[in-house]
Amino acid sequence: MPTPVSPEVAVLDERDTSAEQLPDFTTEAYKDAYSRINAIVIEGEQEAYDNYMSLGTMIPEHADELVRLAKMEMKHMKGFTACGRNLGVEADLPFAKEFFGPLHSNFKTAFKEGKVVTCLLIQALLIEAFAISAYHIYIPVADPFARRITEGVVKDEYTHLNYGQEWLKANFEASKEELFAANKANLPLIRSMLDQVASDAATLHMEKEDLIEDFLIGYQEALSEIGFNMREIARMAAAAL
Amino acid sequence: MFGLIGHSTSFEAARRKASDLGFDHIAGGDLDVWCSAPPQLVENVEVTSATGKTISGAYIDSCFVPEMLSRFKTARRKVLNAMELAQKKGINITALGGFTSIIFENFNLLQHQHVRSTTLEWERFTTGNTHTAWVISRQVENNAPLLGIDLAKAKVAVVGATGDIGSAVCRWLSSRTGVAELLLVARQQQPLKDLQAELGGGRVLSLEEALPEADVVVWVASMPRTLEIDSASLKKPCLMIDGGYPKNLDAKVACEGVHVLKGGIVEFGSDIGWTMMEIAEMEKPQRQMFACFAEAMLLEFEECHTNFSWGRNNITLEKMDFIGAASVRHGFSTLNLQGQPQAVVV
Repeated sequence: MPTPVSPEVAVLDERDTSAEQLPDFTTEAYKDAYSRINAIVIEGEQEAYDNYMSLGTMIPEHADELVRLAKMEMKHMKGFTACGRNLGVEADLPFAKEFFGPLHSNFKTAFKEGKVVTCLLIQALLIEAFAISAYHIYIPVADPFARRITEGVVKDEYTHLNYGQEWLKANFEASKEELFAANKANLPLIRSMLDQVASDAATLHMEKEDLIEDFLIGYQEALSEIGFNMREIARMAAAAL
Repeated sequence: MFGLIGHSTSFEAARRKASDLGFDHIAGGDLDVWCSAPPQLVENVEVTSATGKTISGAYIDSCFVPEMLSRFKTARRKVLNAMELAQKKGINITALGGFTSIIFENFNLLQHQHVRSTTLEWERFTTGNTHTAWVISRQVENNAPLLGIDLAKAKVAVVGATGDIGSAVCRWLSSRTGVAELLLVARQQQPLKDLQAELGGGRVLSLEEALPEADVVVWVASMPRTLEIDSASLKKPCLMIDGGYPKNLDAKVACEGVHVLKGGIVEFGSDIGWTMMEIAEMEKPQRQMFACFAEAMLLEFEECHTNFSWGRNNITLEKMDFIGAASVRHGFSTLNLQGQPQAVVV
């Protein structure tokens, strides 16, 4: 019904939406925020490399594929390191290590306990969905150099998400309970990571609201693909909101 | 498969519905939570036409609520994400309901064809405006005589005459109905003049001038918040078709002799096993729906998978004939004044 008799509609009139504003990449404020965001991305890709290598030892029949996935992450890490260098920004890696600390520690614990389902949920679903949503939102507001790099990376990340998705789908019934538990323990961490990074992301013209919605879309889509029904997904997503 | 993208009429209504559906985490959330909530495919439904053909469809709630209209980026994202979901679910033709098509049109979302890794295929979507315009036109034709208004002698004001639906209604009433005079009301003068030239008639008036003269008023425009209608100055009887969204005209003109009819609403010939029309506050939610939603069903019944209603001022009489004939064939009727549907004769 496209012709409203409504007072609210006044705000819709003749809005110019043609140009998304790009940030000024040269300001100190931008570079300062970028030093943390860039570090998170570099650290995230490094940990992804480590995590896929670990997963390769847990799922030996897929070891070759997981090593291949891991190597892609290493390539991404180098690409993002170049993005920081290009802007003359030194990545704040200690900040990023702390940022990933809780999630990383959950992965390590699950790895030690041989919980492959939990490890896949953390790395292949949560972290990949988080990365994909963030990269998609970053691309339109990135500097031209980083934009090109990120466009390449985001395509690869789908193959990583897809790996986890397919494995969990094939082992759905056996994984279900562990997935519920792993979601409950780890999704709130993603939410608090988003909260921590919100103001720096805003400086890069990436809005928290977009990041959360896009992440949830990707994550829910993955859960649905794996085999969860609408109500189960709603219950699982509750941990994020 | 057909799709409908809809939303609740208010934030409060949305929270109630979410709670009924078991989405407690969203139901309890504040507006910020809703702003970040992804669209949901909340219902699958099967519909069987009067011809016996059965189609399946899905209702997608965009998680948009009218309270988000002032947050332009949020509103835009809600619409695009809901459209992406419809496409990813493989839906052939999806109607953009409620504010969805208004946001699409006014925020010029045509320039946002890429949503993450998805390229939106416009041919999968329809505004549903052609069917809405046809239904409103038929509502004028069916209901004016019930009030003793002879359209051949009547003045029909179209408020919002230059809009997509308004201009189509004008075209229909001037070529097919033969109303005595069309009173054309809209904010911008040039499009009004263009429309007048296209129609080869009609008188351009301000709202204040048109209302006291009109036997029938078709409302398909945004109404200023401050607008007050002096019911005493209206003709009696007067038929008012409330073709806008949301439907809020009754309150402004409630008066003896002034009859307000919800415009652009159709009723299906049998119950549809869905619950989602409750959020649109239909009197008979199992059968009644917005004509724009019904358009998606009609296009699926007819296997006409194309963006049938798209862009502005593309609605021709031929298209209205096509969708109108399909509407009748598959068992839809237009809402009329008695609250009962009236069989439509084309």
